Amino acid sequence: MSQRKRAVPASQSKTKRRSQVSLDEDDEDANFSQITSSQVQRARENFTSDQIDRKVAEVVQFILIKDQKKIPIRRADIGKHVIKEYKAIYIEIMNRVCRKFDQVFGLKLVEIDPKNHIYILINKLEPIHGEPVSMRPGNPKTGLLFVILSVIFMKGGVIKENLVWNTLKKLRVDPGEKHEEFGDVKKVVTDEFVRQKYLEYVKIPHTEPVEYEFRWGLRAEKEVSKLKLLKFVGELFDQDPQSWTQQFREASATETSSQRS
Amino acid sequence: MSDSRRRSKGSQEETAGTSNGLGGRNRSERACDMGDEDDTGAGPSAISDEDDDPTRRREIRSKYRDLINQVQQNREDMLNPANNKLTDVLEEANKLFANVRQAREAALDAQLLVLATDLGKEKASQLHAEGSAFDPSAFAEHLLSFMGLNRLEDESGQDGNLEGYLPQSAWQRLAKRSEYCFKTAPSFHYILGSFLAEPPPPRQRVERQRKAPSKEAKRMMPTQLKKMEESNQEATEREVERILGCLQKYFADDPEEPISYYEFVIDPNSFSRTVENIFHMSFLIRDGLVKMNLDKYGLPCIAPVEEGEVELGGAAVRNQCVISINQKSWREIIEAFDIKGAMIPPPEVLSQ
Repeated sequence: MSQRKRAVPASQSKTKRRSQVSLDEDDEDANFSQITSSQVQRARENFTSDQIDRKVAEVVQFILIKDQKKIPIRRADIGKHVIKEYKAIYIEIMNRVCRKFDQVFGLKLVEIDPKNHIYILINKLEPIHGEPVSMRPGNPKTGLLFVILSVIFMKGGVIKENLVWNTLKKLRVDPGEKHEEFGDVKKVVTDEFVRQKYLEYVKIPHTEPVEYEFRWGLRAEKEVSKLKLLKFVGELFDQDPQSWTQQFREASATETSSQRS
Repeated sequence: MSDSRRRSKGSQEETAGTSNGLGGRNRSERACDMGDEDDTGAGPSAISDEDDDPTRRREIRSKYRDLINQVQQNREDMLNPANNKLTDVLEEANKLFANVRQAREAALDAQLLVLATDLGKEKASQLHAEGSAFDPSAFAEHLLSFMGLNRLEDESGQDGNLEGYLPQSAWQRLAKRSEYCFKTAPSFHYILGSFLAEPPPPRQRVERQRKAPSKEAKRMMPTQLKKMEESNQEATEREVERILGCLQKYFADDPEEPISYYEFVIDPNSFSRTVENIFHMSFLIRDGLVKMNLDKYGLPCIAPVEEGEVELGGAAVRNQCVISINQKSWREIIEAFDIKGAMIPPPEVLSQ
């Protein structure tokens, strides 16, 4: 009886807190969703096309710089820092921004989280095997990320964190020790990669002591080609990628759907 | 209430009951009261003794722990679809459980069950997946080969763990190949850097710090300069004159006795002053104010030149020689000539 009494207020306060948080975020974002057509009309009349052009350029620059750290960009931030008083016509601005990225930079601005309106920049051009992807030396973290994403994908999409740590240990990367190239490995994997949305690091409920599991993050879903990954795994094992029938099926399906979008 | 229900059920099912230790004694009494029977047929007191036998229980626990270890250490082996090791373990556990009476052993059994089901689930997922299984350890091995692991061929046949040398460029190589799987947008950077005003603040601080000491330094400068100007050419001249004065004084005491050159210039307390003395002596000789000749032993001696003895700048025969000295020779001379003190008193120390 007393337990039930306690339970109700607790859940109430949780939902209250949750809605509070989303309200705060939406406060900045709310402006976007409550725009009337008359506001749009007025905005178009108020600003010259030169001013709008400049605004578009500012948004493009803002996103390019924000993308340096590969941390996804929130629409609320774009609104707060760049669009500001032009928010009535933000849709038009964002459309032009997308076109600029597409035509000038060969990049795609992708909304990885339609609910929270979070964007990333990915390359529109697919890397061609045999040609160098970039002139810069490879970032070792890419290799590390590849290993983790591969294990997750080949194992069905969710794995316990121990599998990641054990596999890394076999590669001489110990999360308990400082690594020559990666430094604090645990931090890179569970904090940096997660903030960049390459990975998800989720608590498994009802575990004691607490255990976590890894999944692909929203960025990885859009940025990484499962088919190419499977092909590389096949090369490493000297096996036909189709021999992993389930994974091959999933990879092909994702590939065709992403090509459509 | 639930206890008795459990007990009656227990008596109908296996004798390996789930009763807990506390119930042991009471159970024998209550069994008589309620008329529920244990199927073993043995007297209640005999069962409770067996239940409580610590050695037996220890044995059971130890066997359970062995099984648990076996499952944990040989996980990969157990997962192998080619064998039935997992089933064997479960059968062993079943046999053991037949003798379990109390909670402590049952808890170990439960622990083993958790491990076994975990493995079972893993094995089942392997079966469900049509096509090959994916083994992360093999994956790691293939990656190491790709990264250029140099497997050393030593015969310490220990399971290839951490053997071999991974080159520096290992992760680079992997990164370069993995990049193809990503559609990463290249990071945007200004080619020539931006105009971020980071440098100026540190410069200001440095300037301020420099300004403070320079003021003091300026105050010092005038006094220093005065002394500096003295110690240049004038200082040398004065020193040379002073040494000439010393020599003349010694000679005046004993005009017939030539003074050994070495005894004169060497300062047993300071090598550097010795060198300075030699330096200054050379001026005196060059200018014809002091003459040097070899005595009957072949050692150089010096004496001041009488006025008029030699024409300055005259066509007299001139000889040249280079004198050098190092610390070793300096010490040897001090020892050989038994030089106790400097014949040329050291100059007043310039306070700087």
